[in-house]
Amino acid sequence: MIEFQFDSLFNFLRMAPHGIYVWPVYGLGLLVIGGLAIWIRYQHRQAIRKIRRIMNRESIHEPKA
Amino acid sequence: MGWRWFHEWGSPKWFYDRAGRWQRVCGFLALALLLVGTLWGLGFAPADYQQGNSYRIIYLHVPVAFLAQALYVAMAVCAIVLFVWKMKLADVGMQALAVVGFGFTVLALFSGSIWGKPTWGTYWVWDARLTSMLILGFLYLGLIGLRSAIQNPDLAGKACAILVLVGVVNLPIIKYSVEWWSALHQPASFKLTEKPAMPASMWVPLLINLLGYYLVAAYLVLASMRTVILDRERGSAWVREVIERD
Repeated sequence: MIEFQFDSLFNFLRMAPHGIYVWPVYGLGLLVIGGLAIWIRYQHRQAIRKIRRIMNRESIHEPKA
Repeated sequence: MGWRWFHEWGSPKWFYDRAGRWQRVCGFLALALLLVGTLWGLGFAPADYQQGNSYRIIYLHVPVAFLAQALYVAMAVCAIVLFVWKMKLADVGMQALAVVGFGFTVLALFSGSIWGKPTWGTYWVWDARLTSMLILGFLYLGLIGLRSAIQNPDLAGKACAILVLVGVVNLPIIKYSVEWWSALHQPASFKLTEKPAMPASMWVPLLINLLGYYLVAAYLVLASMRTVILDRERGSAWVREVIERD
């Protein structure tokens, strides 16, 4: 049977005496993975914007029939 | 059937469409698995009799360290495919994998370093495992730098593929370093071929997180590959159709 190993939320967060090591690791994990996901999304949007700019420029310079 | 699937994989347009769907599935599954695995590992798994609660770092450190190496292996496969079949997508894969692999290596190094303080009494030692992982990080960084330094994408791809294949020599060093040298780093806590030494209440969440982080990596690599494809194929009619449709 799986049981919650701490008798209060405070003790869970404290994770005595190792909370100061455990929580920063998970915070860092969130920061690196979240950062990568945001950065990749930003790059994707930049790529789309770049292509849109090229398409707009081309449609302006297109010879009119 | 035959080799048709292999040629389909080589088409950037085919891949771009499918990858968008796969990416979403990977993202949702990863989120669900990581939520369960991390909560279980942090709150419900019993404390270790020697390391106490500090061992709970294992639920992040082991999966990301596994992945840092697995992504390099994937890059080496891409390098071989690029040389043998000259498939454009293999080069796109290498470019995406380098960035994600670097992120996971940094995470493995820092999480290991923080775990080292309560376990060994120090954040860093020039131990064979730690040093070879640091070299892996530099290899990833070197690949990112090399690609951005060469303007011609074909030439950049080939140069990166050579560097990737040369760097493969570091992988067995990482894996066997703890056996070949007297290292401070402990041997693998988890092997697919052996029954784990820890109880199921400890290794099941680790397995869930391992799967979850693999899916996170798949999500990030697919997303990054789609961006690289858009950028490289910006002159193609299908890319313009995709942009107009969005």
